[in-house]
Amino acid sequence: MGTGDSTEPYSSPMALSDDSAILRVRELRTYFYTYDGVVKALDGVTFAVRRGQTTGLVGETGCGKSVTAFSITRLIADPPGRIMSGEIMFRGADILWGLGDEAKYFPIGDTGRVKVKRKFRRIKAANERMSSVRGRAISTIFQEPTQAMNPVFSIGDQLSEVLLLHRGITIIDELLAASPDAPAVGRAGADLIDAARSGVRQEIQDAARKFGAAARTPSLGTQAFYIARATTSRPDQLRRELGKSLNRVRLGGTVRRYLRYQRRLLEIQEKLNKVYLSEMTDRESHAVARLRLRRQAGQLRLTHLYYRVPFVRSRVGSALSRELFWRVVGLLEGVSIANPVQIARGYPHELSGGMLQRVMIAMSLSSEPDLLIADEPTTALDVTIQAQILELMRDLKTRVGTAILLITHDLAVIAEVADDVCVMYAGRIIEQGPVAEVFRRPLHPYSQGLLASIPRLDQPSKELKSIPGSVPNLISPPTGCRFHPRCPYAMPICKQEVPPMTTEGPQHTVACYLYQGPVVPP
Amino acid sequence: MISDGTEPPVVLSVRNLRKYFPIRGGFFGTRVGDVRAVDGVSFDIFEGETIGLVGESGCGKTTVGRMLLRLIEPTSGHAYYRPTPEVQSRLNSLYGQLPRTTSEEGNGKAISPASQKTVEELDQLAAEYSLYRKSPRAMRKLRGKLQIVFQDPFSSLSPRMLIKDILSEPLEVHHAGSRAQRAARVTELLKDVGLNPEHEWRFPHEFSGGQRQRIGIARALALRPEFIVLDEPTSALDVSVQAQVLNILKRLQADQRLAYLFISHHLSVVRAMAHRVVVMYLGVVVEMAETDPLFTQPLHPYTQALLSAIPIPDPDLKRERVVLQGDVPSPAAPPSGCRFHTRCPAVMPVCSQVDPPMLEVRHRHWVACHLYPEGIRTASERGVAEAASGPRSEAPLTASAT
Repeated sequence: MGTGDSTEPYSSPMALSDDSAILRVRELRTYFYTYDGVVKALDGVTFAVRRGQTTGLVGETGCGKSVTAFSITRLIADPPGRIMSGEIMFRGADILWGLGDEAKYFPIGDTGRVKVKRKFRRIKAANERMSSVRGRAISTIFQEPTQAMNPVFSIGDQLSEVLLLHRGITIIDELLAASPDAPAVGRAGADLIDAARSGVRQEIQDAARKFGAAARTPSLGTQAFYIARATTSRPDQLRRELGKSLNRVRLGGTVRRYLRYQRRLLEIQEKLNKVYLSEMTDRESHAVARLRLRRQAGQLRLTHLYYRVPFVRSRVGSALSRELFWRVVGLLEGVSIANPVQIARGYPHELSGGMLQRVMIAMSLSSEPDLLIADEPTTALDVTIQAQILELMRDLKTRVGTAILLITHDLAVIAEVADDVCVMYAGRIIEQGPVAEVFRRPLHPYSQGLLASIPRLDQPSKELKSIPGSVPNLISPPTGCRFHPRCPYAMPICKQEVPPMTTEGPQHTVACYLYQGPVVPP
Repeated sequence: MISDGTEPPVVLSVRNLRKYFPIRGGFFGTRVGDVRAVDGVSFDIFEGETIGLVGESGCGKTTVGRMLLRLIEPTSGHAYYRPTPEVQSRLNSLYGQLPRTTSEEGNGKAISPASQKTVEELDQLAAEYSLYRKSPRAMRKLRGKLQIVFQDPFSSLSPRMLIKDILSEPLEVHHAGSRAQRAARVTELLKDVGLNPEHEWRFPHEFSGGQRQRIGIARALALRPEFIVLDEPTSALDVSVQAQVLNILKRLQADQRLAYLFISHHLSVVRAMAHRVVVMYLGVVVEMAETDPLFTQPLHPYTQALLSAIPIPDPDLKRERVVLQGDVPSPAAPPSGCRFHTRCPAVMPVCSQVDPPMLEVRHRHWVACHLYPEGIRTASERGVAEAASGPRSEAPLTASAT
């Protein structure tokens, strides 16, 4: 139990009783402390994401969709934001462990405002802990790809960094095991030159892949393919270039030593991540193990201080960075970017929004995460590009088996790609269930209104219904059911009591007094 | 579009509108090329009608909208304001006689002497009717009739003005009425867009996005315009609020016989709003038709792809979809021939060489694509087609992409 907030009376920490859930969020409250008052952006959000499924989170602007996403990865800017209480369980790890120790609240008189005292050492520790989850276990696609990328590094550099961080050990192992002088390489090279003469894309690709496999470095296959594409009609040049590409995996002793050093560093980091994860799973501090590993890493860096000298670094590091570059090219191919070599060399401002979003997707999937949080991935894009991206996400779900939390305000996108849907309104989830069920039989008046207000291509003559009023101010939200001021069926009780979540069909739950099914325990 | 034989009067008749933005570069900032934002766009806007202008971002939709209000001066081409029916038919025949200038020839300078007379007559008509030949004073008067609602309600209202000042400013500029009359008009406008009269004492930041957009609409309505450019009026709004704004726009149109140019990339909204739809791609019009035929039987491969890309909020409906590869090419160096040929799923060898002409392939359904080389063949057949498509949606279904 990590939450220090005693107002949340819940029993023993809920184990993952249902194995199908990869992420389980319970009674999550995230507040923002502003000069105008406390914005209760999330006020008791409970939902789960099932393994390998896409869960949609839908609602209007300001209903707390993105805050939910940021809370799960603990990316809420603090100050002004703060996760107050709740539980986020990700594969048995309690993401919010230690939350209660991070800040203390002192009410200022009876103004309703509080003074927050943050313990920044604790917050820093939590951040470090989260870095074992962010990226590798849960990765995020942000809404604005142009703002999520760093403008001063090339796309290749930015993706390389991610790759090294998450997959570094395997990459270095494969690089060290490369066999550029195996007899099969020569034969595969000759085959590739023949294939290049034919000019058929598929043949070149297969031959290049075989070439890479013969040298036991798949990235060499990618590189050989692009060399062959560029020099189709000039076999001599192709031979020369292939020879050069083999040179990059012929490693000298110094370079090997550097790679082993990098590998050791990454190993320590990996162990450290395991410690962090076990801390969150066991809900107890393993400070000793953590400190030992940190000291190991520090000593290792100190004894190899000369690798920090820029000249030395570029000399010994070039083999690794080139390997990473060609792996990045392979990644970009995976998200159907047409000319990945140029793109990898380019900078974010040179790309259109759709291209950048695909780069973002490549980046967030490079670590093969268990959960992908896609925060309005297609909102800034044109419909044709949106169709491409949705196609890509669907493909990745089936191929990699990643669970996706898809956040959007577009119900049509949800209908296209999601399996389950949660409808949010003013910081609460008001209805959830399988997509087919919720779209066919929306129960909450808000869900009904939302569905009726979409102009539809397939039903053009339909009268557009609107929901009167607008999203309430979350500093002083309406009492009881937060939808009651806009609700056509509002009853007296709606103003007074928060409706409980009731079950109204197979896995279909709704929080509304119009329905009287069995109450779902919070 | 009112579909009872008699055509309503034309408000604006747009012909061969072009806008090239120069690219400056080189040593002295000389012109090194052009971004062909709009490259020969023609259509008519009738009274009481909504024209939907759709296309991907960067295809020139907004530039067209702004040129119609002379917020941007076109490179060439004209928009004739309220031509009489005789002038309108004269314009049609004159433009029919003009040789089709490719975009390379541009400004109609390389025209044979035979058509010199046509050019001269067009010039006379332009001097009389074209917006771009009006004097500044005449134009200022006209601006009351031609209005715009901008995309972003958060940046299009001055944060330092009260709502009543925002709404009465156009009235003051045009010296419309006395102070008391102006105040009355402001109240009336607020009521028209579904806001309370007491809202006039507030500042824009006190309103939500949907309310601000309604204030933007009220401001556009202040001078009783005939024509309003709606430049993505709902793309910054939530769906539930979007429906409110769209319904207000529809009601106002019915009450005041307004003509709208509804610019949007959101096709479902266009379908709900527009009577006729113009589809643009990379600065040119590729297809133009009444809304129902366009959405049920799109002809141009681009329109088909655009339609199939739209997600439909119904999980039971699974469709085959045409997913276009790649991005829109740069308008600074548009592809040769048909501009869509680099992404077209039905590309033919001719597409990369010849720019397809705009042809009336079905009744009132124009498309620029080599897949439809004939158009409506003879006058007799044309009569048949017209008779057949009396009630609009009963036209024979031959091709359907959705």
